[in-house]
Amino acid sequence: MNAPVVVSNLSKTFYDEGRGEVRAVDSISFQCREGEVFGLLGANGAGKTTTLRMLSTILAPSSGTANILGHDVVLDPQGVRKNLGFYSATTALYPRLTARETIDFFARINQYPEARVKERVEYLIQRFALAKYADTRVEKLSSGMKQKVSIARTIAHDPLIIIFDEPTVGLDVLNALEVQESISELRSEGKTIIFSTHIMSEAERLCDRIAIIHGGRILASNTLAGLRESTGQHYLEDIFVLYVKAGQETV
Amino acid sequence: MSWKDIRVLYLREIRSALRDRAIVTNSIILPIFLYPVMMWLAYTGITFVSGQSNDLKSRIMLENVPGVHSPLKRDFETDKSIVLTVSTDPVSDIRAGKLDALVEFVPPKTSVPIANNFETRITYDESRDPSNRAKGRIDQKIARYRDTYLEREAGKLGLSREQFQNFWVDDDNVSGERRMGQFLMGLVLPIIFIIMLAVGGMHPAIDSTAGEREHSTWETLMTTATSRTNILVAKYLYVATMSFIAALLNLAAMMFSMGTVLGPLFRRRQLDATFQIPFQSVPVILVGAVLLALFMSAGMMILASFAKNYKEGQTMVSPFYLALVVPIMFLQTPGIEFTTRLALIPVANVTMVIREAIQGIYHWPQIGITLAVETVCVIAALRIAMRLIQHEDFIVGSYGGSFGKFAKERLLRRTM
Repeated sequence: MNAPVVVSNLSKTFYDEGRGEVRAVDSISFQCREGEVFGLLGANGAGKTTTLRMLSTILAPSSGTANILGHDVVLDPQGVRKNLGFYSATTALYPRLTARETIDFFARINQYPEARVKERVEYLIQRFALAKYADTRVEKLSSGMKQKVSIARTIAHDPLIIIFDEPTVGLDVLNALEVQESISELRSEGKTIIFSTHIMSEAERLCDRIAIIHGGRILASNTLAGLRESTGQHYLEDIFVLYVKAGQETV
Repeated sequence: MSWKDIRVLYLREIRSALRDRAIVTNSIILPIFLYPVMMWLAYTGITFVSGQSNDLKSRIMLENVPGVHSPLKRDFETDKSIVLTVSTDPVSDIRAGKLDALVEFVPPKTSVPIANNFETRITYDESRDPSNRAKGRIDQKIARYRDTYLEREAGKLGLSREQFQNFWVDDDNVSGERRMGQFLMGLVLPIIFIIMLAVGGMHPAIDSTAGEREHSTWETLMTTATSRTNILVAKYLYVATMSFIAALLNLAAMMFSMGTVLGPLFRRRQLDATFQIPFQSVPVILVGAVLLALFMSAGMMILASFAKNYKEGQTMVSPFYLALVVPIMFLQTPGIEFTTRLALIPVANVTMVIREAIQGIYHWPQIGITLAVETVCVIAALRIAMRLIQHEDFIVGSYGGSFGKFAKERLLRRTM
């Protein structure tokens, strides 16, 4: 079976007034398998968010291709977005909508079958234990509840591929754990998840395979066991540092 | 374009807007209540001030009143708003504010002797309000006395007052209550109507663009499975709707308050005016308002979409708002004709169309030109907006400049 996410030689170049031409992503390639959590592990500014923004069609690639369930990110962006849920610290919720209205809106606008929207909304409200606050405006919810509504809106249209871009940034330990649990549950439901983080423990705990990204390039991509074997290091932190240093020396 | 998606997006915008205090205040509450309340306050203020001035007594000194005109002197004496005083140096006392006016009865300058004729000289201080008021009261009293006197003299000759006085001027206002009301509404309503179109659309325009960036919901929206064109169209229709609704609510509120506030005021002054817009003018006003709402909304959205937050959005939109509103203030002058040249000026032309339509006047060639000009403006604004959303840095909000800089760097360079 074809991989649901196929990325080939994807690059992104920006023009920055201060720095001139910046190559944020430099010819990266990877594939995600069905039902796995694929981790992009990298420091801040490594190119994780730019890569994920290209996959979610917010940004257009400068070169290379990316396919989500057979939909090309450049040729069929709407087809990509229909099959994709995108969650990041920068994708906030509409403060003046209630939790129920939020999920309803995202289900409809992401083309979930009209006749089943109400049923889906109720299911998600129950699933994330939002019933008590379903008709409360988002702006009045606690950060933990907002987090739940955010995940609910991400999967409102039941996408097969879900991107989590640094989802635990700014969260306290308990809320971060809840997000991690949600990701695990989604994987067990057969969703393909692309997960970016700079927190080693998160990557160790959640990811089936990890790609180490630095300076816009993927330096290594394997399971945690595979990475340990190829480097001889046990801790992911040590593995990461080893690859980054080797990458810098190569450059 | 998917109208289903546009409907979902549009309803989301409207729902959020109706829960936003700033938008509800500016687009609904303000148009309904501000101007009626302002008019009521002005009316109450005028009534209060005029009541206060009526209670003030004028200190007047009479000098050499002819004996034959003693009824005039009696009239002064019995008037409760006048206190007759005596001064040894009246001019100095008037200057010092101790006396309000001096009335001197002097022999007439004419060489032909006319029985009982007299001339009065009023000394007063125009720089002082009480002195001015005293002069007004004296003028009124002498004019009334003159009329009664002439009527009596005419009666002695078997003539009427009109026959006794040659070159009598009598006037008859044929405009009628309704025409009078329409004339007055035509002077006031269009300007406020246009201001309300702008005010009603301004906050929604900022909220749906800069507000989305400030709340970090812009990126959330960009990841939804709908096209950017659908998002743009939905937002645009939402801003235009709010602008149009604000103007309509204001128009209705203004008509109501003019009828209930200005009506009684006019009747008290024995002026007749009924405040009703001709039924056949309604479509003309509505079409003009829709086009203007579409143009203003597009303009404000384009400018606000370069802002990173609400405050910046207000700064970017304010000059556009002023550029629209300030020039039309000059159109308030009565007597300005709706020429073909004026019909070519956006915004001002709609103001004139609405003004004339309220008065029941239809210059169809100018109306046609106006609609064409406004349509061109709307299309031009939309084309600019469509070109903007093709630029990635604009969409993701990483472009750091204003619309002016963007136009210079990208839009104009390409077309040149």
